[in-house]
Amino acid sequence: MEPQRSQRSRSPRPDRQYLAIDSCFFVSIVIVVVLIFVAPSIAVRGSAPARAGTIRGRVELRRAAAPAERRPNVADLGAPSALRDISDRLRSVVYLESAPRRAFDEVEPGHAVLDQRDERFVPHVLAITTGTIVDFPNSDHIYHNVFSLSKTRSFDLGRYAAGRSKPVKFDRPGVVRVFCDIHSHMNAFILVFSHPFFSLTDTEGRYRIDNVPPGTYSVIGWNEGVSSEPKPVTVPEGSEAELDFTLR
Amino acid sequence: MSIARRATLLCALALGWSLPARTQTLPSEPLALADGRVTISGDVSASFGSDDTGFFNYTDYEHSTLRLFRVDLATAVKMNAHFTLLGEVRSENIGPVRAYALYLRIRPWTTHAIDIQAGRVPPTFGAFARRIYANDNVLIGYPLAYQYLTSLRADALPLNADELLVMRGRGWLSSYSLGDPAPANGLALASAFRWDTGAQVHAASDFVDATISVTTGTLSNPLFTDDNSGRQLAGRVSTHPLPGLIVGASAARGPFVTAAAARDAVGAGRVGEFTQTAWGGDVEYSRDYYLVRAETVWSLWKVPEVSAPVIDAPLRALATYVEGRYKVLPGLYAAARVDHLGFSEITGSRGPRTWDAPVTRIEIGGGYSIQRNLLLKMSWQHNVRDGGRVTRLNLGAAQIVYWF
Repeated sequence: MEPQRSQRSRSPRPDRQYLAIDSCFFVSIVIVVVLIFVAPSIAVRGSAPARAGTIRGRVELRRAAAPAERRPNVADLGAPSALRDISDRLRSVVYLESAPRRAFDEVEPGHAVLDQRDERFVPHVLAITTGTIVDFPNSDHIYHNVFSLSKTRSFDLGRYAAGRSKPVKFDRPGVVRVFCDIHSHMNAFILVFSHPFFSLTDTEGRYRIDNVPPGTYSVIGWNEGVSSEPKPVTVPEGSEAELDFTLR
Repeated sequence: MSIARRATLLCALALGWSLPARTQTLPSEPLALADGRVTISGDVSASFGSDDTGFFNYTDYEHSTLRLFRVDLATAVKMNAHFTLLGEVRSENIGPVRAYALYLRIRPWTTHAIDIQAGRVPPTFGAFARRIYANDNVLIGYPLAYQYLTSLRADALPLNADELLVMRGRGWLSSYSLGDPAPANGLALASAFRWDTGAQVHAASDFVDATISVTTGTLSNPLFTDDNSGRQLAGRVSTHPLPGLIVGASAARGPFVTAAAARDAVGAGRVGEFTQTAWGGDVEYSRDYYLVRAETVWSLWKVPEVSAPVIDAPLRALATYVEGRYKVLPGLYAAARVDHLGFSEITGSRGPRTWDAPVTRIEIGGGYSIQRNLLLKMSWQHNVRDGGRVTRLNLGAAQIVYWF
């Protein structure tokens, strides 16, 4: 019985307890109301959105990366089909090495497609944000077996025929090299970013990164596994900054 | 090759793998020169296995597939849309470099998938013999039809049935009284380690491939220069009615006994009579994460009837294997093969008996891709043979394969 007495002696008087609860409840309500209605307007007024700017420029390639050739499989009884297209190798990716903090909350994952067509991955380079689901349709009449052993995202989709597609979700930022287990000359790059400030160049090397908040950033150019040194750039409010790269 | 040398090679491979990408010197793609007109690829494999005291995995008296360091370099020189020169050199256990393949591929019409190949050409017969690289083989051992040495030789012949039966299970080093008296290894049903010389024509459509060839040697004894004035005629038809399904049938026939051995046995004039005839069937089906292959080779060799008890019928052998592979995880697979090689009976002084000792092999294993072009394989084999010095043997092996 002694422990019970002891417990009672430590408890506050019932009327005081109710009073304390009422006070806490009232204060909580006030805080919540302030947070919901007042704080956001203060925050918006306090950091009025500066007009975003643009980074644009060109990636010049001294030498285009050669397309992956077929292994000269001397055991073939006949010649394989000859496909050679270097246009995809001319496309580079330009991205902010350090992005505005708020950018990480604004990433909207979506869907992308990496097709298998004429024993090639189309496109050869894909740049996506984390959380994006990439579909891998097979548009050839033969089997392909898409796989990657990259640390960023390893997967093996097995063999599947024309008309079928399998999805892969990319949750971590990094570079993913994609191959076909049956056709060793098939390969592609998927660059996964945790922010939306990147751009795939056209075959002339031109790029444009829009909606960049004003500030100073480090920017990197990338082509076929080769990266430039980070280059600083200052994006003025509502204006454009130009930045060119030379690779290879 | 010493263990130390193999270890050095492994270290070199591992070093190349572990270096940062920018300093890595080992290529991961075929080397392309002259704007892609010249391509060079390589394949290096090192196998380490337990002591094969029963010679189950030997390809001659010196080389075992379970203890082999092999370097292959292949090249294709595309001269224009019609002519391509292809070649491959190979060295085993740091031995002499040999030309494994060297031929000219001619495509007369660029709009039609018809090719003529002349020189040391790829095997027309069967399916496995064209899976030449170590990473094409899901396990470390080879199918018996393409590797196991029977007691039969092309350059030496048994005087009678008894002499042949004495050599049961001793194909790694057999000897006979006719022809070359020196002991040497016998022949596999079809050689996967040497290519024949001649010409072949290949035509392909969306559903059917067909190949026909004329060569100097035979399936079991491919040759660079003819030694019996005979030619082998071989053909293969394969169809792929569904994605992932290939069904093939092959046939070959040609004189296999050397002119010297035939003369020694029956005199001049009958050199071309002693032929090897072979029939083969193969099927491959793959889907999702699994791959299944089965192949059978049926071979008949005609040998001279010299003295009693005579070998009065063609010597027959039938080899069949079924193998499968299942990808467990990205970069990791499990594989298994069940293989049997049987022989026909001949009648010796002690009654009928198979002319060589039947062999059964079960091999299970798997592979792990450390990186895309660096594969580590492990396997375990159980061999059973109805004759010979060793009749049962379990063997373990590991293999590392690098290719570009």
